[in-house]
Amino acid sequence: MTQEIDVSLVHITKKFGDLVAVNDVSFDVPKGSFFSILGPSGSGKTTLLRMIAGFEKPTAGDIFIGGKRMNDVPPNKRPCNMVFQRLALFPMMNVLDNVMFGLRRRGGMSKREMEKRATEALARVGLAGLGKRKINQISGGQQQRVALARSLVLNPTVLLLDEPLGSLDLKLRQAMKLELKHLQARMGTTFLYITHDQTIAIAMSDTIAVINHGKVEQVAAPEELYRRPATHFVASFVGENNMLAGGTVIRQLDDEVCEIDVGGIPMVGRMAEALKPGEKADLFIRPEMILIQPGRHEPGILGKVSEINFDGSHSLIIVELQESRSPLSLNVKLQHTEQAPEIHVGEIVTLRWNWTAANAFHHVAQHEA
Amino acid sequence: MATQLSRKLGKWLLLMPMLLWIGFLFVLPHIKLFILSFMNREGQFTLANYANFFTTPLYRAVFLHTVKYSILATLITLALSFPAAFLITKVFGGKIKAIVMLAIVLPYWVSELIQVFTWMVLFRETGIISYMLQTLGLTHQRVELLYHNWTVLVGLVYTSLLFMTIPIVNSLETLDDSLIEAAYDLGGNFWSTMREIIIPHAAPGIMVGSIMVFMLNLGNYVTVTLLGGKNSMWFTENIYDQFIIRFNQHQGSAFSVVLLTFSVLFVWGLLKLTKQDISEAM
Repeated sequence: MTQEIDVSLVHITKKFGDLVAVNDVSFDVPKGSFFSILGPSGSGKTTLLRMIAGFEKPTAGDIFIGGKRMNDVPPNKRPCNMVFQRLALFPMMNVLDNVMFGLRRRGGMSKREMEKRATEALARVGLAGLGKRKINQISGGQQQRVALARSLVLNPTVLLLDEPLGSLDLKLRQAMKLELKHLQARMGTTFLYITHDQTIAIAMSDTIAVINHGKVEQVAAPEELYRRPATHFVASFVGENNMLAGGTVIRQLDDEVCEIDVGGIPMVGRMAEALKPGEKADLFIRPEMILIQPGRHEPGILGKVSEINFDGSHSLIIVELQESRSPLSLNVKLQHTEQAPEIHVGEIVTLRWNWTAANAFHHVAQHEA
Repeated sequence: MATQLSRKLGKWLLLMPMLLWIGFLFVLPHIKLFILSFMNREGQFTLANYANFFTTPLYRAVFLHTVKYSILATLITLALSFPAAFLITKVFGGKIKAIVMLAIVLPYWVSELIQVFTWMVLFRETGIISYMLQTLGLTHQRVELLYHNWTVLVGLVYTSLLFMTIPIVNSLETLDDSLIEAAYDLGGNFWSTMREIIIPHAAPGIMVGSIMVFMLNLGNYVTVTLLGGKNSMWFTENIYDQFIIRFNQHQGSAFSVVLLTFSVLFVWGLLKLTKQDISEAM
């Protein structure tokens, strides 16, 4: 079965003068999915979204929404709606009129019908009965929902979200994050969400496209992205990682695994890129994938605990490697389970990890994130 | 206690210059005007000055003419200023914005009198426009472009453009561009976005500008007399006549009070009609 595609970008490039904001980007957004574009600020993700919405014209390439080419369709004629970063609710109207704005513009509907639909949309986002309120009389979280209802009431092919959760405080953001995901699942509308916050993207998305410097680094499901980053940038940007830079590849153990000399210590890792013996490489190891054991054990890497940061469900332990030529340390995340070993500062510990927990890339001299 | 008292005193001291200004130059003269308007030349109480205004067709006609053309001039000013303010705030950026802004402010660096003289140089029988029309062969004799109602309108609009543009620029500057984009995104077009988003947002600025310009027009004397001549039928000329030509300060005072009362009521009614608060509008 081939999956239906709602949004398709084909070799999209956007230049502002000499500046290339988006550089030859292509990807497909499957129908009914929660798709995120994740990138640091200045990566071109907002420009990308604005091109899909129709506020910017691509310098080259084509945009398809629902199978139709959109390049020359103005924003008010596109089958997509946008939830703006600062929400852009209309303060001169009440909540219900905000939600009805799009329906009024579309026309061909009685006032009663419009009110019915707008009221339903408000109920769907949990704001039943607040229609008569003014925009400045409702809370930030409620404003988020109004912005959602205002777009969703038009049944867009795809809903574009420009980091609307960014302005909320942490607690509310966590709550809205789940709610947004549930809403998307319930309605089945395709969501295209852009954010620089990888925790949000990972928690909500079916698929994430990571972009940096206007180029797509990887398009994958969150778990794939997390476990098998395709590029050096993705490995450093998505999730926490220990980066051990400037090692030398010793040998290839099989198709996927290699051994790398990091400061005199041989370490195993997955070859995310083809690496030959003798090449410089950077190794990324997830802190929570490192096994830590008190005392000296074989095989393993010896270290001394220099710091323990208690963080509720887990502790972040900083371990200085004992046998390296230059000072090297690794962050280890230890879950506080029944079986968790007791670790103390100053103690000698043994670290171990499965090759799947570490990803090796060609060495990149200076990382710009 | 003492600090509280001195703080209170400080506030009043800071307000003093303004209070003195308003008190001596505005409130006191107007009280005097008000009292004078109810007196005859012998200093006795009378309503005759007001009766004169309401029973003399000429005064009524001049008054209505003044109101009509003040409103018209205000509307034309608004029609010219709004697009300009919109372009300045939402379309132009950087250097062009500064240049256009300067172009609007620059004429106000010279006095109203000089501004009006330049119009006279353009409009008079022996003026530049008349000369050009003759040179181009569009007319065979000199054309007098001064002393028409429309000439007065041109002058009034020109002298008040700034007072309309600035408040509208101020109010449009606080309009988040994403609101306009959101309106488009939801299917709005230029006119519906203008009508439902941009104009409602700019309403306080439009109101302030209109009130200011209307008041300036209503009380204008220099522009009106110089461009409109003796027959320009502006109410301020009646007041001038009474005070200066006829030495009838009582009648002149009554006219002044009528004009002031009318403008206050007019503005109040307008604010009521558009459901705006004076404090909000200002």
